[in-house]
Amino acid sequence: MTYYLTTLAVYAGVDMIACLALSLQFGTSGIVNFSFIVFQAAGAYTAAVLSLPPDTANGGFQQYILGLEAPFPLPWIGGAVVGGLLALPVGLVVLRRLRSDYQAIAMLVLTVIANTVITNARPFLNGAAGLSLVPAPLAAQLDTGAVGYQYLYVAITAACVVLVFLIAQRIVDSPYGRTLRAMREHEVAAGALGKHVVALKMTIFVVGGVIAGLSGAILVGFIGLWAPATWLYPETIVLFAALIVGGRGNNVGAILGAVLVPIGFFEATRFIPPFGPPGLIPALEWVAIGSLIIGFLWWRPAGVLPEPRHVFPPTSPLGTIPARGRR
Amino acid sequence: MSAGPAPRPLLEASAIHRHFEGLRAVDGVSIDVLPGRVTGLIGPNGAGKSTFLAVLAGTLPASAGSIVFDGEDITSLPPYQRARRGLVRTFQLPSEFARLTVLENLLVAAPGNRGDSLIGALRGRRYWIGDERRLVERARGLLARLGMAAKESDYAGTLSGGQKRLVEIMRALMLQPRLLLLDEPMAGVHPAIVGEIAAYLEALRDEGITILMVEHELQVVDRLCDPVVVMAQGRVIGRGDMAALRQQPEIVDAYLVG
Repeated sequence: MTYYLTTLAVYAGVDMIACLALSLQFGTSGIVNFSFIVFQAAGAYTAAVLSLPPDTANGGFQQYILGLEAPFPLPWIGGAVVGGLLALPVGLVVLRRLRSDYQAIAMLVLTVIANTVITNARPFLNGAAGLSLVPAPLAAQLDTGAVGYQYLYVAITAACVVLVFLIAQRIVDSPYGRTLRAMREHEVAAGALGKHVVALKMTIFVVGGVIAGLSGAILVGFIGLWAPATWLYPETIVLFAALIVGGRGNNVGAILGAVLVPIGFFEATRFIPPFGPPGLIPALEWVAIGSLIIGFLWWRPAGVLPEPRHVFPPTSPLGTIPARGRR
Repeated sequence: MSAGPAPRPLLEASAIHRHFEGLRAVDGVSIDVLPGRVTGLIGPNGAGKSTFLAVLAGTLPASAGSIVFDGEDITSLPPYQRARRGLVRTFQLPSEFARLTVLENLLVAAPGNRGDSLIGALRGRRYWIGDERRLVERARGLLARLGMAAKESDYAGTLSGGQKRLVEIMRALMLQPRLLLLDEPMAGVHPAIVGEIAAYLEALRDEGITILMVEHELQVVDRLCDPVVVMAQGRVIGRGDMAALRQQPEIVDAYLVG
């Protein structure tokens, strides 16, 4: 039971971090990043190959690059850096010229391409079988099988959630965040007011990539394996569903969405007694996720916790006091 | 053109062309915008006025021609760099930031806020709150002047058409522009507010802000604009003050028939 709960807690933390990053991109800045999961995967693979021994170990049953056995926290930092670096070429290709609806399509296609390439290029990251036996952080120093280690992992994950939340909060509440929201509302008008729209998008795309990479690194360190099947494009859709339910552009909403959708929803369906042909329940889960998105967009498009309205105090303007936003 | 003792033009556009796959929307237009004046740009629908304005602001690149702003060739500069030099446009269609409040619409346009960069934002509120306070004060001054103070915390998307126009003009003014390009500022505005906006533009002119405006409301043009440039089918067909233009039958024809 402890193991179940700590696993759930780590997954929740990873989803919260991912949702915060996606909220910065999609909620605040209006970038429909349908390739989000690729950046999480990049972070996970990077952390894996940084912490794994060379691929001749374990009888050479898997093939991969690097294998540096780097000590913690280098694999996590590496994962975050690679997530950000990957955002540069992707952003430069996708965000500069294409209109936003085409950007979304391009990113979706990118996910499919990336997944197919990694699946089929075995020497790079072990292909379809993926990487396993990824050492947990501090595995050499601590007994990773102990309950105490589980709690430690949850604590480190929680610290990362807090850090990412504070960063996201500082961005969203600042004049810079206001500029990002203006770009989201009307890109051409923002450009006409002196905002360098491409630079803004690129910056927030990279920031989101860094955070996504970190989330992947945290996850792979905990579960010890990472394969193409874990980062198919629907995984991004789940995160979008979480944001739409929780409230995009609201960091607390992103946290809430992460708890409600990827964790709450999928965990709840675990306890449904099996019925019908095999595979029916997972299929119905996707139907339910889709319905959830459509339902919220229809009846409550701003989500449970909408983006706060920034109201300024009347006499001595000490800063923005976010009040609960109206739709 | 700017003959005799006239001051140096703030903006000189020479032989501007803008083609859309064979359609010559702007076909060799040259104008000088003199400082401290409101220059009017009139003409029938489809004359290329808005396209010309968009080329001046950089929203659309010119197919040919050159634009010199305050002595600097800005022909190949992107829109945001033109805005930073003081050449600021508004749009024919409402272009407010709908889910930002009225006050935020103004604040977002203001340059020189230390918190308006990623690094500045990450350094936290203390780093930028001074700039923010100063700009809030300035924005509130503008809002009060136009009777919009009570609306400052409303989302701009909920305003009426005329109020949105005002917000867009105030937003542009937060950049302290040297040349304001207005694309039909009275379009979709309730007649009662038209006079108010016109009076405000007059006041801006008297404060030394140069304006180039596309406008259909001839009463507004009569009141504000001197000189006036008439366009039809992508070309300039006349220029001068309104009284003189009214005497030229071919211009009256083109404008009424167009």
